[in-house]
Amino acid sequence: MGHGDKGRSSKRPKFGKEDYKKAHFEEEDAYHFEEFDDDDRNGDKEGGKRDFSKLELKPDHTNRPLWACSDGRIFLETFSPLYKQAYDFLIAIAEPVCRPESMHEYNLTPHSLYAAVSVGLETDTIIAVLSKLSKAKLPKEMIDFIYASTSNYGKVKLVLKKNRYLVESPFPEVLQKLLRDEVIGRARIIHEDSHGNGEFTISKTAGELGNRHEGLLNEAEAAAAAEERETHSFEIDPAQVENVKQRCLPNALNYPMLEEYDFRNDTINPDLDMELKPQAQPRPYQEKSLSKMFGNGRARSGIIVLPCGAGKSLVGVSAASRIRKSCLCLATNAVSVDQWAFQFKLWSTIRDDQICRFTSDSKERFRGNAGVVVTTYNMVAFGGKRSEESEKIIEEIRNREWGLLLMDEVHVVPAHMFRKVISLTKSHCKLGLTATLVREDERITDLNFLIGPKLYEANWLDLVKGGFIANVQCAEVWCPMTKEFFAEYLKKENSKKKQALYVMNPNKFRACEFLIRFHEQQRGDKIIVFADNLFALTEYAMKLRKPMIYGATSHLERTKILEAFKTSRDVNTVFLSKVGDNSIDIPEANVIIQISSHAGSRRQEAQRLGRILRAKGKLQDRMAGGKEEYNAFFYSLVSTDTQEMYYSTKRQQFLIDQGYSFKVITSLPPADAGADLSYHRLDDQLALLGKVLNAGDDMVGLEQLEDDTDQIALDKARRMTGSMSAMSGANGMVYMEYSTGRKLAGQGQMKSKPKDPAKRHHLFKKRFA
Amino acid sequence: MVNAIKGLFISCDIPMGQFIINYNASLPASHRFIIHILDNTHMFVQPNVADMIRNAMSEFRDQNSYEKPT
Repeated sequence: MGHGDKGRSSKRPKFGKEDYKKAHFEEEDAYHFEEFDDDDRNGDKEGGKRDFSKLELKPDHTNRPLWACSDGRIFLETFSPLYKQAYDFLIAIAEPVCRPESMHEYNLTPHSLYAAVSVGLETDTIIAVLSKLSKAKLPKEMIDFIYASTSNYGKVKLVLKKNRYLVESPFPEVLQKLLRDEVIGRARIIHEDSHGNGEFTISKTAGELGNRHEGLLNEAEAAAAAEERETHSFEIDPAQVENVKQRCLPNALNYPMLEEYDFRNDTINPDLDMELKPQAQPRPYQEKSLSKMFGNGRARSGIIVLPCGAGKSLVGVSAASRIRKSCLCLATNAVSVDQWAFQFKLWSTIRDDQICRFTSDSKERFRGNAGVVVTTYNMVAFGGKRSEESEKIIEEIRNREWGLLLMDEVHVVPAHMFRKVISLTKSHCKLGLTATLVREDERITDLNFLIGPKLYEANWLDLVKGGFIANVQCAEVWCPMTKEFFAEYLKKENSKKKQALYVMNPNKFRACEFLIRFHEQQRGDKIIVFADNLFALTEYAMKLRKPMIYGATSHLERTKILEAFKTSRDVNTVFLSKVGDNSIDIPEANVIIQISSHAGSRRQEAQRLGRILRAKGKLQDRMAGGKEEYNAFFYSLVSTDTQEMYYSTKRQQFLIDQGYSFKVITSLPPADAGADLSYHRLDDQLALLGKVLNAGDDMVGLEQLEDDTDQIALDKARRMTGSMSAMSGANGMVYMEYSTGRKLAGQGQMKSKPKDPAKRHHLFKKRFA
Repeated sequence: MVNAIKGLFISCDIPMGQFIINYNASLPASHRFIIHILDNTHMFVQPNVADMIRNAMSEFRDQNSYEKPT
């Protein structure tokens, strides 16, 4: 059914014994619905399935694309002619749960409705469009739910005007209610000149313009939205902004705030003279995400979710050049700071002296009154003592009023660091960019009030079909454990070394070597090998004689290796530890081999896949039905019968939810290719085993990066060496010498223990005699 | 003189063979069940342990497989 089947027909869904049921879950659901489409017989045929037989079908249901269930779940048929419109609408109001090829599942949540309201959809609009698209009559529960969760939304706005934070609303009674709350009441700043407590400042703002769903609505509704409205406002303390915002979330007062910035009428902050260059043509989905952000002529704060390689930086640069005010751009590490600075220069007409980078290596200051500063989260949030120079720059960053705070890879930054960054910098509008809005520690929801709601999320498979990102063949390679390694794996005393044992499994090594050879020699591909386990990383890289990059590799060496990888014909494979997960931009690579990973992190898997998503080759070859079916490959090597199987299945969940399927390969390397690969002979394998077992527990564990909260790969190690005592080598050395001296003295005494005068050396005898 | 022992002939893959051997070794001496290890993939065990081995094995496999929470 549906288009694009041809391009993917060879992908079989994952077919492990134990996960068979799960992998087919979505499809079963889909079938369930289709049967239901024909007749009502199967209401509760299978135990545990929900009963949908009460839904009332509309007579022309075949023309309508979606199913809405009373529990808030919505299913969308992607083969419907209305798919595109329905998708744009659903992505605005609901959270995508799972998006395989023919059937998408969405979930209505209070947060997603908050996001919908913040991009300008109103409660009645949401319900009207939903019921228009739904095959059955909308369940009453769903309508009630939408009313209950949106009735308060969009009534309160937080606006930064002339360096003052104002809470704005067209409804004075709502503001009264907010002020009755203790936290908000305390945060309010009352000016001398205002006439007492009950009064609010009144001003006029333009109403919502340009409703993007008017095709589905009556003209009248759209017109009604565009009236001028009176708004009331009161000022709050900048330091309390976050608390106030949090109080207003659905779980407290339930008046979530929208943040908007009226940048066209901002005459206080100087304009930055930058525009997009004519050759920068935003793609349709980039346009769409920007139109959500600038929907009503103002800039909204929020998060835009695009897969890696889909051109997030162009979205960021476009947003900055539309606002045309000073912009603070935050990235995760020094390498991506360089990349962002480069992107700004590439896509916009900004002059070199208007953009500056602020990292531990390069501390540039911009002249003039407006500009773009690119820095890392760490540099801004760093709490310790700084050099005089960077102290000055930080002071400048703090005091300036930023038009746009552009935040890259928002998912990696731990909440406390975010808070710090956001409280330190005053910005009118915040834009977060990410590819993967999942975290194992559920801190994602914090982002809703720290930055704003999710404004747009692209569908990966649609981008693949459009040829905007590479079509990746995902494969899980099953490597059986060898007898000796598995015997050690099972022993209780080796419980800490389990990971090292399954990563160093000789069969895995051989599969890896085989894949590297195949892709280097047969296809001329560029390969990245990922290993979280440092011991394995060094062991593999040394044995195969390939360059590697890990946490302790210096910035200079990294740049050199990456440069060689990009340009040289001899360097086709590079080994990366988890420092390579985010932001290191390696557009040349099109094959990833993953030999070890951080437990069950779904995000890491998606980020790694993202390293090869940037589309390569000619566009027409990449489109569905083009010359090359797959142009990128993602291999995950897994040792069977070990914990790795568990993690690997868990990690794939995110990508499976995006519609990817994993093919399982069981016989690698092929039996006839055995002899010339490493570890063919048993004694080699045993030597390797000995090496693993003899390595200390600390050696075989995961690489621990500094500041490793949720594995944020930050480059702090180099800043540590900057401390004066470490530089001079004085760190603890005095103590060391002292203690060794004493120890020696003690030993000396031991030797001279015989005090018996008779045993004295004859030279000393005289002295004591 | 030929000695005949009644028993169970197990054939399995290499890792599971190791698993059974390890499981056998973890039991107290009186409960050990392997009579003879024939090679990497075959062994001869006491006749009454089939279910016990199956249970141990399925427990081990459950630990290594992930079920998506619903």
